[in-house]
Amino acid sequence: MQNILIIARRDLRAQFNSPVAYVVLGGSMLLLGVLVFWVPAIVGRYWELDRASVVPMFTYLPWLMSIFVIPAVTMRSMAAEKGSGTLELLITMPVRDSDVILGKYFAALAMVLVLLAATLIYPIAMFIWPWHLGALDWGPVVSGYLGCTLFSAAAVGIGMMLSSLTESEVMAFFMTLASLFVLYFVGSIVSLVPGGLGDAISFISFQSRYQSFALGLIDSRAVIYFLSVTVLCLLVAFRSLESRKWA
Amino acid sequence: MSNDVMIYANDLSKTFGSFRALDKINFEVKRGEIVGFLGPNGAGKSTTMRILTCFISPTDGSARVNGHDVFDEPLKVRQSLGYLPQRAPLYLEMSVFEYLKFAADLRHLDESTFKTRARSVVEVCGLAQVLGKEIRHLSHGYRQRVGLAQALIHDPPILVLDEPTSDLDPNEKTEFLDYLKQIGKERTVMLSTHNLAEVEASCARAIIVSRGRIVADGPLDEIRAKSGRVRYVVSIQESPATGAYRGRGAPPKKAEVEEVLGKVGGVKKVGDLPTDERAHVFELVSEQGVDLRPDVFQAVVDKGWVLLELHRDAQTLEDVFRSLTIGDERRNRRLPPLGGSAQADDEDEDDDDDDDTRAAGSQVDAVIAAKEDRT
Repeated sequence: MQNILIIARRDLRAQFNSPVAYVVLGGSMLLLGVLVFWVPAIVGRYWELDRASVVPMFTYLPWLMSIFVIPAVTMRSMAAEKGSGTLELLITMPVRDSDVILGKYFAALAMVLVLLAATLIYPIAMFIWPWHLGALDWGPVVSGYLGCTLFSAAAVGIGMMLSSLTESEVMAFFMTLASLFVLYFVGSIVSLVPGGLGDAISFISFQSRYQSFALGLIDSRAVIYFLSVTVLCLLVAFRSLESRKWA
Repeated sequence: MSNDVMIYANDLSKTFGSFRALDKINFEVKRGEIVGFLGPNGAGKSTTMRILTCFISPTDGSARVNGHDVFDEPLKVRQSLGYLPQRAPLYLEMSVFEYLKFAADLRHLDESTFKTRARSVVEVCGLAQVLGKEIRHLSHGYRQRVGLAQALIHDPPILVLDEPTSDLDPNEKTEFLDYLKQIGKERTVMLSTHNLAEVEASCARAIIVSRGRIVADGPLDEIRAKSGRVRYVVSIQESPATGAYRGRGAPPKKAEVEEVLGKVGGVKKVGDLPTDERAHVFELVSEQGVDLRPDVFQAVVDKGWVLLELHRDAQTLEDVFRSLTIGDERRNRRLPPLGGSAQADDEDEDDDDDDDTRAAGSQVDAVIAAKEDRT
């Protein structure tokens, strides 16, 4: 347990010592602002909703996470270590392989959670201080953040897994981006696909699973789904790390 | 197994696909020994070290480090050794101090132990000047020192260093070997290198590996003596190139010279060396500790022949290394093995895994031949 924390702390510090963390944080906050306040889209522009709600934010957040934040945060975690050889020094310290995987996983997840925490500025600025645009119903906000956290946990798991399968950060970035893009946006075509196939798609789609959270509904099936994906991905990452022994 | 055996490898084998990187390696390293692990590139040095540090697992065989099995107790094995991988792969964005702290944390040193240990390794490795610098800004020599420092931070009884001097300049190398002698006094050190001068400077014992097998293991003197025999080269004039023949009577025949040299006291073997028509050149091998030069000279004088050359070659460790590992290099370049029965036997044994290499080799030959035809 102690080792997991030490490894996670080192990784997190490395993120904040490099420009990646700031580019990701700053860039995504900016993009989120543009998306929520300017771009007219599925849910309508924030101002045109005429309601005290942050649903637009929760609509765009996973979108932004999938194609930018999570690929950028997880790309380095295993791939860079393998590519530069630092993994050999880390693994030959008295640590378990699982310590390494979990440490790196929690570091990446923490980074994403920092971003999530930063977005709290929107509901706070709009509805508490300095502006009071109305009485915000905090229930959906809490469930929305819960959904985002679960979504991030699973997506970071996918990123970790893919990062552990390659030695190139660029490969890791694009593989994660593609996987999350497909997993998320496949949900948008559910209504176009009839019957069993549509059901299957909506079963695996991150979007269908996430949507209820954004609207204030905590769906236990979705919770279990996201957690299972996380565990599965971490197991694959662990196996992949272990496979170096037998290659 | 006695208590003093710190590293023990028993029939270690490792195959990567069809490539046999290690083939039943056996050795022991005792407490307090500094052992040089020698071999050409690709001979299996790093593979062995990675198995000992539990980074990879052997395909077959077993190894124990400080009494702990690498399969069953990898954490205990890693606790008792400090490891510096090839090219010291460190986290470049960390400062030297942060890195040492990180290594100490992972090894669960408490704050006060860390302070004392850090002070000592910083002094031994000469890192005081660069403690606050980011590792990315350090020269390779300094990075190697940081690598050594992290391997020493927990005061391990065993040090495994993989080519620790490869990136150093000559001055740094000398300094490094001095450190090594300092820190090696009460530790077991295993270091790999292909620089023989380093081994001669710092190790008392060497293990030479070639193509995944141990070809020599023992004290340096013994290895040198093993195949490092002394040879004498004698060349006798056969016919003068220009001018008159200065010897007594007619120039000797080859068989005659061979017979006379064979009778000199202390000669163990007379070998014929290739030459032109102007001289007979022979190689003599003496019995241990006998100097043949006076007797050979006297025999030649007695016969009235003209002695063109007489010299003694003492084989250096380098020669021994070359003669023990030469097959390696030829195989890497896909050349056929040199003549000699030992080599031929060797080839027969691993015919199975050589087939691919040979097929590829002959393809290369065919391509080269085709190119030559065209030009």
